[in-house]
Amino acid sequence: MSESNEYKIIVDNVYKTFNVYLDKANTIKEKLLFLFSRNKKEKREVLKGINLKIKQGEVVALIGTNGSGKSTLLKLMTQIIYPNKGKITTNGKLTSLLELGAGFHPDFSGRENIYFNASIFGLTKKEIDKRIDDIIEFSELGQYIDNPVRTYSSGMYMRLAFSVAINVDADILLIDEILSVGDEHFQNKCYNKMRELKEQGKTMVFVTHNMSAVKELCDRTVWLYNGIIKMDGNTNEVVDAYVEATK
Amino acid sequence: MNVFKNLYKYRELLKTNVKKEIRGKYKNSFLGVLWSFLNPLLQIAVYAIVFPLILRNTQENYVIFLCCGLIPWTFFSTAITRSASTMIENGNIIKKVYFPREILPISVVTSEAVNFIISTIIIMAFVIFGGLGITKYILFYPLVLLAQYIIVLAISFVISSVTVYFRDLQHLIGVALQLLFYATPIVYAADTIPEGFKWVLDINPMTYIINGYRAIFYEQQTPDLIPIFILIGVGILCCVIGYLIFNKLQKGFAEEL
Repeated sequence: MSESNEYKIIVDNVYKTFNVYLDKANTIKEKLLFLFSRNKKEKREVLKGINLKIKQGEVVALIGTNGSGKSTLLKLMTQIIYPNKGKITTNGKLTSLLELGAGFHPDFSGRENIYFNASIFGLTKKEIDKRIDDIIEFSELGQYIDNPVRTYSSGMYMRLAFSVAINVDADILLIDEILSVGDEHFQNKCYNKMRELKEQGKTMVFVTHNMSAVKELCDRTVWLYNGIIKMDGNTNEVVDAYVEATK
Repeated sequence: MNVFKNLYKYRELLKTNVKKEIRGKYKNSFLGVLWSFLNPLLQIAVYAIVFPLILRNTQENYVIFLCCGLIPWTFFSTAITRSASTMIENGNIIKKVYFPREILPISVVTSEAVNFIISTIIIMAFVIFGGLGITKYILFYPLVLLAQYIIVLAISFVISSVTVYFRDLQHLIGVALQLLFYATPIVYAADTIPEGFKWVLDINPMTYIINGYRAIFYEQQTPDLIPIFILIGVGILCCVIGYLIFNKLQKGFAEEL
């Protein structure tokens, strides 16, 4: 087998720079005006040469302080943004949970939103039909499923969104800082589901600040610090070093 | 080729998105979908009253003449106006989820095409009740529609992606469309234009499209097929170029929005 099949995610020497406009020129008039004055633009290097290979079935946590580039790396893997230099390759169907319920339409019912949301993840109608009962059951929304989403509480909203994403049946799951929502019961349910997915050999990448969750779920942890990988290895060692450093 | 594979994979998204666009458009209005009929009807009424007063020798059956031009024009202009805002409106999803971005302009154009097909009922109603009747030439309707769809899609690719970087375009398009409206034989016939300005109509693709619909419904004869086929060919080429531009620009969408 070639190397590319063994690895699910390959991050090859990736650099990402954001242009931070202190005063952004959006219109032609502003752009013209800014030609003559100094365009207040600042380059911020968020990732500086990241190399990372994630194997099939690995569950990896990305940890680090705020602004260390964790979420940016996750967004790059999802192909929402693209690197300035370097290359990111992913193999297999990928689902990302960067924000719960992105693309929910408030006027549509929970059921309709399941169809819409799952189709964003690339599922066909048939595939959604097959999963819809599982999704509704997992969300525990019961009779509320046919109410418009705008009537939902934030907990219900989040449960619905999570249920869709977790049931999409992706090979790779990218999850950003969302496990801290919901009550304990639902959180446990999510963890159990993720353990189940792990046993099925799915590849997962988490971004989180919840160290106990990291220790519980992940075999490998990557510590990002100021856009570079400071440490990469066994979860317990990395987390302990990180906790020690941020004390 | 990858484009088509990806689109096929996300066909459900395309479908639900088109449905959402059609349904969402009149969601909170009292008369709902009726507006897709009322809107063009009222517009036709306005022009049918105003223009015979201004232009002295108008066509016979002016209302039918008018709606053959006005309704395809509405498809063209709304599709382009909405292409300009679709990325900004969907900024929230673009920033959060990966999906082939070209789904957005394609669903705008497709939903407007569906609206147009529905509005064609108005043209047919006028043709039938105006005493002209529907003839076999209606078989050419899908061909003209195809040409128009391809042209609009090509423009939509460019407009939708460029507006993300130049928001001014949204406003400029309104004016440009208004100008183009009068540079297209909608309220007047192509042959009433002074010789010196003919070239304007000749380089305007919408001239051939509207002449095509008019041949089918109003003059009831075979449309001039050569320009239609040329349009389809040029349109496909423009679609490819438009898509390449779109693809180049879409990489920065999440950061610009």
